[in-house]
Amino acid sequence: MAELVDAAECDLVATTLRQLAEQYDGLQLLAALDDFGFADVLAAQPHAAVSALFDALGRSCGTSAAIHDVLMQPLNRLLPATGARYCVFLPAIGEPLAGRVESTTGTLRGLAVDYRPDAELLAPVLLDREIAWAHVHDSVQFSTRPIKGLDPTLQLKQVSAEGVPVTVLSAGPEARSLWNAVATAGRRALAYQITGAVGQMIDLAVAHARDRTQFGRPIGAFQAVRNRLADAYVAHEAAAAALESAWTADDEYLAGMLAKSLAGRAARIAGTHCQQVLAGVGFTAEHPFHRFLARALVLDSLLGSAAELRRTIGAYVAALGAIPRLVEL
Amino acid sequence: MQVAEFRDGLRDWIESRPESLAAPIDDGDVVGQLDHQRRVQRLLFDDGWMRWGWPAQLGGFGGTPLLRAVLGEELVSRALVHTSSWSMHEVLGPAVARFGRAEIVAEIFPKLLRGEEFWCQGFSEPDAGSDLGSLRTTARPHRDGWVLNGEKLWTSFAHHATRCVVLARTGQPGSRGISAFLVDMDTPGVTASPLRTMANVDEFCSTSFVDVEVPTHRLLGEVDAGWLVAQHILACERGPIYWQRGAWLAHHLALLIDHVRDADSEAAVGEAYQLLWAFRARSKSTQYRLARGDALGPEASVDKILIAATDQGIFDAARDVLAGVIETDDTPTGKAWRREWAYSRAATIYGGTSEIQKDIVASRLLGLPRSA
Repeated sequence: MAELVDAAECDLVATTLRQLAEQYDGLQLLAALDDFGFADVLAAQPHAAVSALFDALGRSCGTSAAIHDVLMQPLNRLLPATGARYCVFLPAIGEPLAGRVESTTGTLRGLAVDYRPDAELLAPVLLDREIAWAHVHDSVQFSTRPIKGLDPTLQLKQVSAEGVPVTVLSAGPEARSLWNAVATAGRRALAYQITGAVGQMIDLAVAHARDRTQFGRPIGAFQAVRNRLADAYVAHEAAAAALESAWTADDEYLAGMLAKSLAGRAARIAGTHCQQVLAGVGFTAEHPFHRFLARALVLDSLLGSAAELRRTIGAYVAALGAIPRLVEL
Repeated sequence: MQVAEFRDGLRDWIESRPESLAAPIDDGDVVGQLDHQRRVQRLLFDDGWMRWGWPAQLGGFGGTPLLRAVLGEELVSRALVHTSSWSMHEVLGPAVARFGRAEIVAEIFPKLLRGEEFWCQGFSEPDAGSDLGSLRTTARPHRDGWVLNGEKLWTSFAHHATRCVVLARTGQPGSRGISAFLVDMDTPGVTASPLRTMANVDEFCSTSFVDVEVPTHRLLGEVDAGWLVAQHILACERGPIYWQRGAWLAHHLALLIDHVRDADSEAAVGEAYQLLWAFRARSKSTQYRLARGDALGPEASVDKILIAATDQGIFDAARDVLAGVIETDDTPTGKAWRREWAYSRAATIYGGTSEIQKDIVASRLLGLPRSA
């Protein structure tokens, strides 16, 4: 009975979040999610909440600072329940951490996917050659530069500050395991958003392959085209299956890296094949395809790209000296 | 019997008798491989492990078919049996059990489980590979039975098999004129000639049927309805066999990690591992669907494409990480790697080529128009 109630609740949560993501974007979406109590839903039903919202964001090419609620999940217990809202800095691409702290002063440089205007900030930083979590109460001292890049609509921001006062919330091994948990939560959310965008790319290319006629037949009847789309579909299915089982793996950190890496791999495969099938029109700004391609590739670059992660994963299992099954019958 | 309970008990059982289960060094000797499997199967049968997941009328103890997947996984992930021969009873057993005459099945099935019999699959022909529906082996009514004529190819282990499931034409051209028969390999007119593989292993055969008399009660299912039997067999391949093939691949990937020494080999192992994990995640839901008795549809083609890519991905990684071993190492270790690498080249071919699977995905899952 309890399971049935849970399942029904999950469905309701998923349906509501999908509808909100279809209806709103950016700050409006953030306000709607706050009204819905997304942070509480996340605490109660993390799998249902993250999968529904971020897959829908991938599909709608939307963006939301609600990702900070996801990143905050492992960190909430470090903070008093004052009702304050937080944003989490991610390390800049290619960097292990988002800055350094000496005693109570921090020099921070990181990335934020969208931003809560009124938020306090947390960042994983270097302190005495160890990882630590720094808390910055006052966001006024930060300089924020929007990153246009390949996908200007993502609201990705570079955030930096020199010599700001910080409080160290956690340091050493505990801070390391918190960072692993934050990275895992972020990787799963990003992986849903990427696979959502990949699903959209495939739908656009399949619709085109059915409608577009050349040599007297729909191009989807040509084996070369069919094989490309089948490859894209299989890569997406592989990533989606892996992502669902990332929630129940006994090594969630490893599973999170694998899920994100497979999502990035699906983006590369589907991006290439779908764009080729869409041909000329897929190269234009008026066709929506390029937005999903750009979105998936930029998200791939955050918290470890597929190219980086597969190396990290290989090193991780080599250090472990075993091939964890992760999925059991 | 619950899956976790079965797994734990089986692991204890395996670990308590390392000498009696340890496989001979894999030097490509199929006779030695099969002799060892018979011994292991007998031990497993006598202590019951081989009987779980099969219904009582087949000599089993009942329980979910997932137990068979776990059995295969625990055995091949320790290389106690070779995955290629361990799959024979799983490929053909369920279809024979379902479509065979009850009294025959009751007689022969326990022998299959005990390892006293091996069965082989007579589907492909020289001119009927992917286009299996065009097969030309014939079965004509003869006295109170049938007489078969034709040639089958790629019949794995036919030269060591007791029986063969043969698809033969009994009616109109195409897939609707085909029937399935359970033929004893010692019937006069049946000749199995090994075809040596590029791995230097005599694993599969060319098997000819010349005026082979088959009694009526050896028909599987109805006349001209052999396609159903074939489809059932192909669906079964996506079941416990794939799960244990995945475990075999995991075992080989684990052998590689001691040799990881630079960023390139880390990337090779990471890439192979992520493919393997995605396959297992996908296959798990398929295993549960089959165990519930659901019929598999076109979505099972995704499983086939994934495991074939994983298979080749892992042995490609082996070539990269074990630089030179597959190409030049003549020790038993090198030979074993060479055999497995070579076998992996066929992963995208046997059981329905990846091209056929992609065509199914394109038409039936993506709704693309049929190719002209």
